[in-house]
Amino acid sequence: MLFLAMWTGDIMFANTYELIVFILNYIGIYDPIYNVFKMFGLEYLLRIIIVLVEIAVLFVFILLTIMFLTWMERKVVAMVQARYGPMVTGPRGLLQPVMDGVKLIGKEDIIPAKADRWVFTLAPFLIFIPALLVFIPLPFGESLIISDLNVGLLYIIAISAISPIAILMAGWASNNKYSLMGAVRAVAQDLSYTIPLALSAIAVVLFTGSLSTVDIVTAQSGTWFGFIPKWFIFLQPLGFILFLIASIAEMGRIPFDFQESESELVAGFFTEYSGMKFAMFFLAEYAHLFSVSAIVVTLFLGGWSIPFLNLIPATFAALVPIISLVVFVIKTYAIIFFAMWLRDTVPRMRIDQLLNLGWKTMIPLALLNLLVTALLMTAGVF
Amino acid sequence: MNAAEELKALLPGSVISIGLQLNKPMAVIKKEDLVKVAGKAKDLGFDHLSVVTGIDYKDHFEVIYNFFSYSKKQNLALKVNLDHDKPEVDSLTSLWKGADWLERETFDLVGIKFIGHPNLIRILLPDGWNGHPLRKDYDMNTEQFVTIGENGDDVVSPDGTNLLRRK
Amino acid sequence: MALIYSGGNNVESDELFINMGPVHPSTHGVLRFKLRMDGESIKECTPVIGYLHRGTEKLGEMKTYLQFIPYTDRLDYISAFPNNYAFVKAVEELAGIEVPLRAEYIRVMTMELNRIVNHLVGIGSLLMDLGAATMIMWGFRERENALQLFEMLCGARMTFNYIKPGGVREDMPEGFIPKLNEFLKDMEKRIDDYEQLINGNEIFHMRMKNIGVISGKDAVNYGWTGPTLRGSGVDYDLRKYEPYSIYPDLDFKVCVRKEGDSFARFIVRMDEMKESLHILRQVVDNMPESKVISSAEYGIAPMTGTPSSVSTYFPRIFAPPPGEVYSRIEAPKGELGFYVVSDGTTKPYRVKIRSPSFCNLTAIPSLVKGLKIPDLIAAFGTIDVVLGDVDR
Repeated sequence: MLFLAMWTGDIMFANTYELIVFILNYIGIYDPIYNVFKMFGLEYLLRIIIVLVEIAVLFVFILLTIMFLTWMERKVVAMVQARYGPMVTGPRGLLQPVMDGVKLIGKEDIIPAKADRWVFTLAPFLIFIPALLVFIPLPFGESLIISDLNVGLLYIIAISAISPIAILMAGWASNNKYSLMGAVRAVAQDLSYTIPLALSAIAVVLFTGSLSTVDIVTAQSGTWFGFIPKWFIFLQPLGFILFLIASIAEMGRIPFDFQESESELVAGFFTEYSGMKFAMFFLAEYAHLFSVSAIVVTLFLGGWSIPFLNLIPATFAALVPIISLVVFVIKTYAIIFFAMWLRDTVPRMRIDQLLNLGWKTMIPLALLNLLVTALLMTAGVF
Repeated sequence: MNAAEELKALLPGSVISIGLQLNKPMAVIKKEDLVKVAGKAKDLGFDHLSVVTGIDYKDHFEVIYNFFSYSKKQNLALKVNLDHDKPEVDSLTSLWKGADWLERETFDLVGIKFIGHPNLIRILLPDGWNGHPLRKDYDMNTEQFVTIGENGDDVVSPDGTNLLRRK
Repeated sequence: MALIYSGGNNVESDELFINMGPVHPSTHGVLRFKLRMDGESIKECTPVIGYLHRGTEKLGEMKTYLQFIPYTDRLDYISAFPNNYAFVKAVEELAGIEVPLRAEYIRVMTMELNRIVNHLVGIGSLLMDLGAATMIMWGFRERENALQLFEMLCGARMTFNYIKPGGVREDMPEGFIPKLNEFLKDMEKRIDDYEQLINGNEIFHMRMKNIGVISGKDAVNYGWTGPTLRGSGVDYDLRKYEPYSIYPDLDFKVCVRKEGDSFARFIVRMDEMKESLHILRQVVDNMPESKVISSAEYGIAPMTGTPSSVSTYFPRIFAPPPGEVYSRIEAPKGELGFYVVSDGTTKPYRVKIRSPSFCNLTAIPSLVKGLKIPDLIAAFGTIDVVLGDVDR
């Protein structure tokens, strides 16, 4: 039925579960499998299994992306600095993340004697898992979303707010005065930049009237004057800049990475960690980088939509998810490249300058942004 | 009239003789009047204390101060002769803060004591070192063993008792 | 990483002792800071030096004048030509040696090249401590070209042993001047790149302006010299106001800044690199043709086996007449002075080295009172200390 008309531009399916069910139906094997489950009275189990398969695919995709990002970061930094980067392991150094992983797995897993064992072991996982959970309401492509929560944006911000707890756990459980100080500072940085982040995101919600990420993306489809896409970056330039800076600060990258600067004495909160637990922190950082870039793309750069997607003839409607996935990945990598480029260009800020920027400059600007947007909306400009 | 002659004219009692250090004016002064003469030199415009050199001639010590004036672009050298048994002289740290480390280094390597210095301890060699290396009678064949102590300071012993591994 | 111990957590005062140990990524070399902190700010800072003390002054009394020249290379190992030259200048003044003009031009050329290289390393490591690692990588790329030039000239990249009393060891090889011209053209563009990267950067301004301020009078009192002094407004450069070698014939500006903070010292170094390029161009354009080493009595045998136009065979005894001399030059880090006492034999009686890094380091305790540790790193990086120079 869909293949007989021009693709209308509406989203085909609400989430990936429905896409998979449609594909299985198309192949014709959905009904037999469903009947088998029905025999045992376990129809819901099929749904659970399909969703679990989706999550597994997403998980593998994210892990591969993280590994690729570690390689990409080293290559981008090296190219800016006029050198080559990893070249030895694998062709152009592509197997470098694998070698890093092997090295980290082989290291001895040390737990300090007076450390709190359970909390110490739990903290890295508590940082890594929310970094993965945040991908659930993110639309990777048209109808490629695990679950279209209707409070998607709120869920994302709430999950990102779990990390201060985990950082404090890591700093406290290390039983090291300087780890604790480092953890307290990291939490201070996190909290002071979550506020402008949330405020800038809310200004976007004013346009769509809905917190669901799919609605946000579809609100950005279409063009003005025929060629400028209706992305929110054009409607909210200040919001975009604030959101980008706040997310780079949340991630703890240069220019906000006083934790990792070796010139400072207070050790970061993860000094006592070694081996695989240490690896978890870095995997979590890159997962966070990817997820934050994806959120920026979804909120301000139109997600997976590009202007002329709805003109694809209906016979090729099956290509739309694939094209939208490619578009999404390209846009996300553009933001990631910008973050990596920023890293080698500027020096880092001192902790008090950082906090001053967050509280004294960004929060007033974010509030101003919200105010102006609300005024213009009630005046009917948008 | 160069700077050494000026100083001789102003403080005739303190200046023993004037001469040339190759081509720079040099005045040999009495060691008790060092601070007075140096203060007068500073008033005359010699505000840069370049170096403090201690030399061990076998029968006496000499300490040579080289000054320079940024405003007049002139050099001046002051020399003080000290006894071989008791090499002590006043410290110039009250006039030039940069003399602090220069005098500590001279004390460390040559063994000249500067009276009135706020913190006259060894600077280049470890704290417990025996002897002053740049003296001509320093015995270079004795060994001294240096290790690091409890809070990061150095521990020196002449016979290796502080080493972790016995020799 | 830093050795951290905490003692003295008194009841009355919340003092914390922190030790930035000899092995630390941002103290450029083996330098130790004992810090007494009041919360975040530094109350008192005591540098501890001597970890690289090699007894160079004592060695000076046991080696002949020519044997001592390689030891001078290792003082400030990043810029070794000026070290050589300072000692050789003192010896030449003592012995009254005339140096041929071409040798003077070659000496000035190598010293100015070394000045550029030194400032690249200084600026690069300062920025690396602040977090922008790009500058040091770009700086080392240029340094590589300069080191290849040095290798062409005298066979070594870091410790040259090239300047001898009476001239230089041997003449420049064939393709040296064209390669040097290429380097100069390249370097101009690169310095513009560096300025674009760093000078206008807001975060850099925030980290460096008004940090570690010292007034001109205080700086002179502490015995500061070189770019650090010129950053505090004192207009003094030994090359201009007490010129030696061929500097009277060269035309260049002295770079001075008035503010006295870390940013001013940084800008003085960038400007000095540009002035050095200007000087180098003049030297290359006006290079005379003559011998590079002066004649018979001064005891230096040539490297090649045959007499050539640049040096001749002569006996190996070099003993200047008795006397003492203090001669100073403008090394890249400040004023480098050698006090040489000769008693008429082939070995000096006393060699005293007045090194710029040692004297610049004395002001650190008062410079950083009240600052935080990241500011200590920024202020200390602009003073550009090399431990080989401090400890000798």
